[in-house]
Amino acid sequence: MTEALMEIRDLAVQFRAHRTVARAVDGVSLEWRRGEILGVVGESGCGKSTLARAMLGLLEPAAGSVAVDGQAVNGKASLGELRRRVQMIFQDPYQTLNPRQRVRTIVAEPLVVQGVPRGEHPERVRRALEDVGLEPERFGERYPHQLSGGQRQRVAIAAALVLEPEGLICDEPVSMLDASVRAQILAVLVELRRVRDLALIFITHDLSLAWSLCDRIAVMYLGRVVEQGMATDVIERPQHPYTQALVTAIPVPTAGGGGERELLKGELPDATDVPGGCRFHPRCPRRFEPCDRVDPPLLAAGGSDQLAACLLHDPTLGAAQLSTGTSRSDAG
Amino acid sequence: MSAPLLEVSELRVDHGGRPIVDGVDFSLERGEALGLAGESGCGKTTTALALMKLLPPTLRQQGTITLRPPKQDEPINIGRRTEAGMQVVRWRHISLVFQGAMNSLDPVQRVDAQMAEAITLHAARGGADAVRGRIAELLTTVGLMPGLGRRYPHQLSGGQRQRVMIALALACSPSVVIADEPTTALDVVMQAQVLELLERLRSELGLALMLISHDLGVLAETCDRIAVMYAGRIVEIGPVRSVFDSPQHPYTKRLLASLPVIGGERALAEPIPGGPPDPGDMPEGCRFRPRCPYAAEKCLADPALREVAAGQAAACHFAPWATWPEVEAATRSPVAS
Repeated sequence: MTEALMEIRDLAVQFRAHRTVARAVDGVSLEWRRGEILGVVGESGCGKSTLARAMLGLLEPAAGSVAVDGQAVNGKASLGELRRRVQMIFQDPYQTLNPRQRVRTIVAEPLVVQGVPRGEHPERVRRALEDVGLEPERFGERYPHQLSGGQRQRVAIAAALVLEPEGLICDEPVSMLDASVRAQILAVLVELRRVRDLALIFITHDLSLAWSLCDRIAVMYLGRVVEQGMATDVIERPQHPYTQALVTAIPVPTAGGGGERELLKGELPDATDVPGGCRFHPRCPRRFEPCDRVDPPLLAAGGSDQLAACLLHDPTLGAAQLSTGTSRSDAG
Repeated sequence: MSAPLLEVSELRVDHGGRPIVDGVDFSLERGEALGLAGESGCGKTTTALALMKLLPPTLRQQGTITLRPPKQDEPINIGRRTEAGMQVVRWRHISLVFQGAMNSLDPVQRVDAQMAEAITLHAARGGADAVRGRIAELLTTVGLMPGLGRRYPHQLSGGQRQRVMIALALACSPSVVIADEPTTALDVVMQAQVLELLERLRSELGLALMLISHDLGVLAETCDRIAVMYAGRIVEIGPVRSVFDSPQHPYTKRLLASLPVIGGERALAEPIPGGPPDPGDMPEGCRFRPRCPYAAEKCLADPALREVAAGQAAACHFAPWATWPEVEAATRSPVAS
């Protein structure tokens, strides 16, 4: 048994339309450790949801590999195995539940798909509902329209848990919920991690939430991970100018807010037209000479387990690559 | 001091006898930014729509809303206005930036055509040239290139569409702009840009701003005063600094505690047990009582919103709170949200 539950290497996902290619995920390597909460943060369109879908084989990758427990996921059988061990929940609990099925049927569905003997279903459904704080007798017979937003998200979590997975990928699971309901759902997830040692990937654009919840954080920009490390390091001492800009933009919940600050100009570029060199350089307040030509790899920076894809952390790299004429942006 | 720009008193909105907004009073001064906070269903958006008299016919509104536009001697009694009478008030004196800008623009019309419609409908002055000039001016004001006016909404990003919505709200130079969750659908960077824009407009144009958001962080950054709503009522109102530094209602206290402060203690907020009450089945007395860790016998009587510190009012029998007693860890029975 390895420490990593899932490991992805150089994963790329592309969408083609007309004559353009959108590089939604553009070479991501990431390790998701057992029992850890890994945050994936970034602006809409940065590729975080696409990455999650590709990890579960819901999208066909253009390149790269996905491994579970050190075993490469390849072909239908291993995909089925992957989805038994790793499940996913989505942002909108209003759209993910079948409106014509009762809660107990919805929660039992994965058992049917995975061919678990019928006799086991009622007991496992009951346990899954209890784990998310819904009384099985009261809620099992209801339909989704008879539930509140928070209750629906609990049902979605129960359906994901019924197979007793080792990992749960949560795509913006609380962004549609209010503060008090949000806190309840987060408490459920954290409790599951504590009791079942469930590993979580938490995809969010909410940096303060990621900071308070996650063990490690990966920051994505335009299809790449540009920074990763311990949550406290990445958010409290960000080492990539993009992460620094994101952290500065967080509204500060104290009177008067964060005061004066330098805001990032412009918007996330289109994934069909990724800038050459460092993909962040057109918006970067700290860019220097080779940034428009050299595509920086993840470099050691700041904290012990912290990496940032920025030439500031190895200025010589830019010069070296330019002199040998092997700029990575040409290779890509 | 002159009378406030906007004065709302005893505002009530009900839906078939179920109170959605239940006796809301507040005022807004010229150039002031007031934040309205609270969770979904607490009546924030309904309050905004009532101020514009834009509620659907199934909802009934009562109470007085007085607007005293600086351009005009006579105060406007919005509560009494008919629909025809409101058409000369809306957009010209008070305008609204709707929630979900993404869906508020006509997808088959160019942006400038939509802006021209708003301008000619509400402030017809001058010819086509004047209107074109005004559109360019408005787009520039909100930080967009005037050339973007030729685009269709789907050719704009979310942040650009939200700026177009703000430009539309400014079309007739109103004195009050209500922005309902103007940044909720936007990312942090875009959100910060739009908030910065609203703040700049307020100082440059002397706008009074009513900002509605469930995000207390957003309100803390932009507002002078903040009002917290719960179950159709304002439970606390006061200067941003006082409310954030020393909240005087247990609900405000819990909402603030649910916000992570980066660099502070890294812990998830203790959830508030239960959910907000159903408008058809309000609890007796204080509406927060069933969820309040400090609830006592006297909370069975309805608390009035009363001043408990300078400029700060709270609807809690125990206010002012000098200290907040430790709450025993809430019984961790599974609570269905």
